[in-house]
Amino acid sequence: MKTYGTEPGAPTPVQVGISELVVSDGDDTLKSYGLGSCLAIALYDPQSGIGGLAHVMLPDGDAADNSDRKPGKYADTAIRALLRRMVEQGANYTAVEAKIAGGSDMFEFESFGDGVGQRNIAAAKEELEKLGVPLEAEDVGGEHGRTVEFTPGTGSLVVKTSDGDDENGVTEL
Amino acid sequence: MKLDVNALGTFYRMAREGAGIAAGRLTHMMGVETQVGVTKLNFMRGREIRRDFEDSTEKVGVRVKLTGAIEGYSVVVFERESAFRVVETLLAEAGPDAEIDGDVGEPDEFDEMTESAATEVGHIINSGFIDGWADVLEAVIDVSTPEFVEGVSAEPFFGDIDEAPGDDDLALLFQSRIETVGTEVGFNHYLFPKRESMSKLLERLRTSEGIEYDKLDGFDRMAERGAEEVAETATTLTGIDTSVEIRRLNFVSLEAIPEQVAEEKLVGVAFEFDGMPSGYLLFLFDEESAHEIVDAMVPMEVDEDGFGEMGTSAIKELGNIMASGFLDGWANVLDTTIDHSTPEFIHDMGAAAVDPVIIQLGENQDFAFVFDTVVVADGREFDCEVYAIPDESDLERALNNLDVDRIEDAKTTAEFQEVDTT
Repeated sequence: MKTYGTEPGAPTPVQVGISELVVSDGDDTLKSYGLGSCLAIALYDPQSGIGGLAHVMLPDGDAADNSDRKPGKYADTAIRALLRRMVEQGANYTAVEAKIAGGSDMFEFESFGDGVGQRNIAAAKEELEKLGVPLEAEDVGGEHGRTVEFTPGTGSLVVKTSDGDDENGVTEL
Repeated sequence: MKLDVNALGTFYRMAREGAGIAAGRLTHMMGVETQVGVTKLNFMRGREIRRDFEDSTEKVGVRVKLTGAIEGYSVVVFERESAFRVVETLLAEAGPDAEIDGDVGEPDEFDEMTESAATEVGHIINSGFIDGWADVLEAVIDVSTPEFVEGVSAEPFFGDIDEAPGDDDLALLFQSRIETVGTEVGFNHYLFPKRESMSKLLERLRTSEGIEYDKLDGFDRMAERGAEEVAETATTLTGIDTSVEIRRLNFVSLEAIPEQVAEEKLVGVAFEFDGMPSGYLLFLFDEESAHEIVDAMVPMEVDEDGFGEMGTSAIKELGNIMASGFLDGWANVLDTTIDHSTPEFIHDMGAAAVDPVIIQLGENQDFAFVFDTVVVADGREFDCEVYAIPDESDLERALNNLDVDRIEDAKTTAEFQEVDTT
């Protein structure tokens, strides 16, 4: 859901919907709700505190026509777009680190083949490797949903599962 | 009149674009954060649109007549209280110099001042939408002066509009919701295009052979049968009296589908179905409803955390029979067979249950027709949301094969088996 007129320092976390990506240089919290097979990709530069979150849905944007218009939809193009926007805002490319969460396989349908979640995880890892961005932490796969909250300033990625409110359901990466 | 996915996709972009501009202007004017909620293209019958309005809340609307690239009416509808809150914020924003007649906090009536402020807000929102559409269409749309309307039924809002659909007519409705962040102000936006104007636009935007609009009408009637079948099955199996509360054919971007699902932990049963069309079918229950179903279907006391093996199996079984009923409804009308997979049980965040499906469909399509159905029970907890999301190219083919005259004769019957809860 897109919010218009967000004030700086506003307490409400910025929602990053499916196929969206948001870059921030403040203490904003970026939140993606209810990831199943979708993947949350968080990149940040620990020195400058600039970072961003993408909520990707498909692995391969290079093979799709509309990835120029919607880079946040695909793992590969989302990572490149995040990096570019972060560098534009003053992040240091070589310092950037990554964390990912999501990519569950909730259903075993025939049409899903090897699993839509697994394909997203593999694509993200491949692209990060290609660009030389170290993957610092991950909470991926399985058969459950996740909600993530990312604070670029600290690099903290909090992952909640649906048993969310007790301690077992919350992991900080 | 024919439509295709490309034309509908353009309409959808218009609605999104318009909602964005309207929200932006509202933010600017009121100095508050605003958020665009779900935007949908609905195919709704006149009767259902009118029923939507008859929830006994007082509403206030601002409507304008459109000419040019789109002809018809654009109407912004607020709940009365929302409208007052907006006006209050707006007048406060105007500063202490603004002349406020008395206390605007809890007024009973719109006076000249508040009515004119509400009209202004409504007009700015309408214009935002229209500017967004004009941008997408790269064409000029002319707008009449705004008209202030209030009432509790659809009558004052649409009663005198010739373009408003008759009870049985299927209308293409643009629906968007904008909310302010932190305060409870929200409104709905409706566009009633003139049929000829819509037909001309569709002709211009269509890039493929497309579907006859009348066939869509038949398809909707078919979905109605599916929904009734689900309610009947649920009643037979659980002994809980249920009925279809909402049944809508939406055209939305794939990304918008999970956004629409409740932000809580849900219990669901999912299927893939294969035939003409193929696609995915999901039944989602809130936890309370799911417990109620288990209590109704499993005769002995179940003392387990969560749903346990027996509860899970009961819900899967119910889902399985509802799925057969729903899909048989389709298959009978389409004169084909549609097979479905074994049920997959899920007890997790609602959105997480939907996103694998949209990911799979997203490989080949950006939009989807979603058959939204809500089945409810009187006096007891039984809320079931049904999402049927067919593969788009299959659906187009299935629609084209549809013999509209057949629909009235087609009977749907689900077979009831013994429920296996062991």
